[in-house]
Amino acid sequence: MAAAQLTDEELLAELNRLGCSPGPVTESTRPVYLKKLKKLREEQQKGSRTNKTRSGGAAGASAPGARPASRDVTRMSASGGRSSGGRLALNKEYLETASKPLLGFSSDESDAEVNQKGDLHSTSSRRRDRSSGQHHHHHYYYEQLRPAFPSNRNQRLDVSSDPNFDNLEGKKSREGSPFWLGKRKCTTDLLYSTEPLVNGEINEEDEREQRNGRGLSSSRFAYSCSKPQEEYSDSEEDRDEEDDMQKQHHPRSRRLSPRRSLTPSELSAHKSARGLENCQERTGGGVSAMRDKYPERSLDEVESIDWRGSAIGSIRESASRRPPYSERKADLSANVMLSSPTLDSNHVDLGSFSSFTKPRVSIYNSFTDATTTTTSSSCGNASVRTNHSNHTISNHVTCKVPQIKKLTEPEEELLQQFKGEEVSATSGVSAHYLSMFLLTAACLFFVLLGLLYLRMRGSGSVETAVAIKSHPFGSDFDRSYGDKEKSAILNILLHLHDHLAKIAGEHDCGDHLHRGSRNLTFKEASDFLSVQNISSEENLSAALEWIIKSGESAAGIRLIGRSQEEDVKVVSDIKYLESTHPNMSFICRFRRAFVVVINRMLLFVLGIGIVLCILWYMKYRWKKEAEETKQMYDMVGKIIDVLRSHHEACQENKDLQPYLPIPHVRDSLIKPQNRKKMKKVWDRAVHFLSTNESRMRTQTERIGGADFLVWKWIQPSLACDKIPSKVWQGKAFPLDKRNSPPNSLTPCLKIRNMFDPVMEVGETWDLAIHEAILEKCSDNDGIVHIAVDKNSREGCVYVKCLSAEHAGKAFKALHGSWFDGKLVTVKYLRLDRYHQRFPQALNCSTPLKPSDNFLNTVSHLRHRTSTINSVAKS
Amino acid sequence: MSSTSQKHKEFVAEPMGEKAVMALAGIGEVLGKRLEEKGFDKAYVVLGQFLVLKKDEDFFREWLKDTCGANAKQQFDCYSCLKEWCDSFL
Repeated sequence: MAAAQLTDEELLAELNRLGCSPGPVTESTRPVYLKKLKKLREEQQKGSRTNKTRSGGAAGASAPGARPASRDVTRMSASGGRSSGGRLALNKEYLETASKPLLGFSSDESDAEVNQKGDLHSTSSRRRDRSSGQHHHHHYYYEQLRPAFPSNRNQRLDVSSDPNFDNLEGKKSREGSPFWLGKRKCTTDLLYSTEPLVNGEINEEDEREQRNGRGLSSSRFAYSCSKPQEEYSDSEEDRDEEDDMQKQHHPRSRRLSPRRSLTPSELSAHKSARGLENCQERTGGGVSAMRDKYPERSLDEVESIDWRGSAIGSIRESASRRPPYSERKADLSANVMLSSPTLDSNHVDLGSFSSFTKPRVSIYNSFTDATTTTTSSSCGNASVRTNHSNHTISNHVTCKVPQIKKLTEPEEELLQQFKGEEVSATSGVSAHYLSMFLLTAACLFFVLLGLLYLRMRGSGSVETAVAIKSHPFGSDFDRSYGDKEKSAILNILLHLHDHLAKIAGEHDCGDHLHRGSRNLTFKEASDFLSVQNISSEENLSAALEWIIKSGESAAGIRLIGRSQEEDVKVVSDIKYLESTHPNMSFICRFRRAFVVVINRMLLFVLGIGIVLCILWYMKYRWKKEAEETKQMYDMVGKIIDVLRSHHEACQENKDLQPYLPIPHVRDSLIKPQNRKKMKKVWDRAVHFLSTNESRMRTQTERIGGADFLVWKWIQPSLACDKIPSKVWQGKAFPLDKRNSPPNSLTPCLKIRNMFDPVMEVGETWDLAIHEAILEKCSDNDGIVHIAVDKNSREGCVYVKCLSAEHAGKAFKALHGSWFDGKLVTVKYLRLDRYHQRFPQALNCSTPLKPSDNFLNTVSHLRHRTSTINSVAKS
Repeated sequence: MSSTSQKHKEFVAEPMGEKAVMALAGIGEVLGKRLEEKGFDKAYVVLGQFLVLKKDEDFFREWLKDTCGANAKQQFDCYSCLKEWCDSFL
């Protein structure tokens, strides 16, 4: 069914058939309904069609959707008639399907549209053009109006750069640069001779473009995509208004293509993806039909569709654009063909940045390369990929530099992400190194410390060995002996000391095998010395005497008598000799030191652990405490509420006892399963209330024969707590000729929104309404009948007055006033209808008066400025 | 408390009379100008369109978007404003 050919009735019928219930189809509603129809149809078809393309569902959806639509379109175009609405609807539909897989485009686009004045027209028309271009594309596929193309192409190709440039410049200001840029991107061109000229232009355009919204540029891009076909297509009504622009664009776009190919970075992924999608839609629709005829072409399309999924790559744009051009490969010059397949190959690559520059490189590639890739691409994707990889390798070198400069927005984003990761990585690495360094430094420090310690411990012997000249015995020793004897004695002592230290060290180190004890018997010592051949008996005894004299610590030898405790006074008492400075092997010392250090550390850590435990425990207690207090206050609050509400209930209902037993309150507030848990909280709350709450009193009452502790609320209720109800609360807006009829029309009024029948309680509220109305219109003596419609959802009250003039006064008094929190509105009713409804009002003629003169419902207002009331009433 | 704007409340409080289209909630200067260019120069004309579309939310929002390029929030505001007005005064 051709969408655009539907008459209003048909459209209505279709929509009704599909389940909507549309209103009248008028000039302005037609596009909306057509859109809806397209959407519904597409949903229908989506369910029945399988996904033919390799890409995801969106393409599949769009492709089938495009096919029947394209068929429709071709018929439409063939017939030559086209309605703007149909076009718009179709275009919108395509837009929607196209934008589905894209992230955030629609909103971007709409925002961009809103932001830019005048954009709307161009954008929407662009969309229309795009779709129409798509349709034309299909159209041409089906109907093979190929002859038309070459001529146009040639025309495009022949356009020289400069005039176009000027045109571009001029157009730019009119259309806005992004639009132009988009156009630029859309096409590929053979005029790479204009490259140098173009480059200068590109940069500023790049910036400008990047400054604009993505959505905008994508829409531009889309538009530009379809632009080439525009010229060939039958006229769209939009084309008329942009006809001259199109003509400009075509040559421009053709010429600009090298630019575009050179600066792929301009194109954001979005734009490219969008264009790609659009083109895919175009191409997808024709895929199956075209497969036989244009194998390469279909592969390109398939590739482009396949590739659609990836987000990066400007090449896609060009690639997507490829289909229309490659289709006419035979007709087009080799250059075009060249650029197209290589570009296709480019986008088959995994969106590397190198692909950006591919187009540029491709331009310099030989034609043969292009054709080989093209032919190879026809063989299959895999072969295509390999070919592309070849290109990739060759292109990489040249691609490096431009890569860095030209990054489209999404790539920039990605890059920034990666950069962020890198930065964090490097900082992490440096931090890692730093920490390692610190750790090693600390370890080394401690090792050094340990070594020093060990050395100090074990070097006692060294000191004594330094010089026998210095001895610990004092000057007496020097005086009493000659040099030779002195040295002999000291020698003896030295050796003895060393030997004993060794023994002690061995013993201490656990070498119990060789040494049973630390000490040496006197005999053994003397034997040792005689073996060493360094002493005689008297020297030994002299030495020992001196040791005794000066103390053990002086020589480093301890003299032990028969028992450990005995002091040795005489040489003959000496039984054992022991070293006070055991000389231990290094390993042993180290081990001991290590053990000591570890023990100390453990103790320290233990101490800290204990402290932490204590702290934690205290924190825990505090937290628990705070929680319990909070619970207590909650409970107190609840109790107060209960008591207060009970008190208020008692005010109204005099049958209730004014006090509440405490256990009853507890049981009503705490669920049975919690009672045991909350007992503590409850008790605290009760205690708190009894001490801190002045509005409640605890007393004992006898209830049902048992004594209970009860609470009694003793605060008198505050007058201002009551929310006023059923009172007039002022005027919402001043009545002027805008919101009230200029003159009173009838004597009957219908007052709306005075009450809510669901909310009213009691039996006399309607009388209260009567009173309220009468009091509000107390200066008006003309109200003869009031009827409250109790069942009306809108709270309607019907009032009949003596005359229209009285009704007018009442109208002024009532309309727009606030009553009981609701805005009251009044309108006039016809008298006969009123009488039909309320026959009892026929005979009413006596003015009604409020039942008392207190005017309760307007008491508020009287307190306020009376001027307002007087103004309102006048 | 409702989340309607001041504009909404003002519009819904009284019959719209000859109010300009910019008095509608969600319609500001830019959108109002666009609507006026399209011929919807008074709020009641937009109301008319709303009623012709049978007060259907989707249709009206779609129409609004097409006519003046309102974004989703603006559409929603305008729709709810008109709907509430109709509920009160129609």
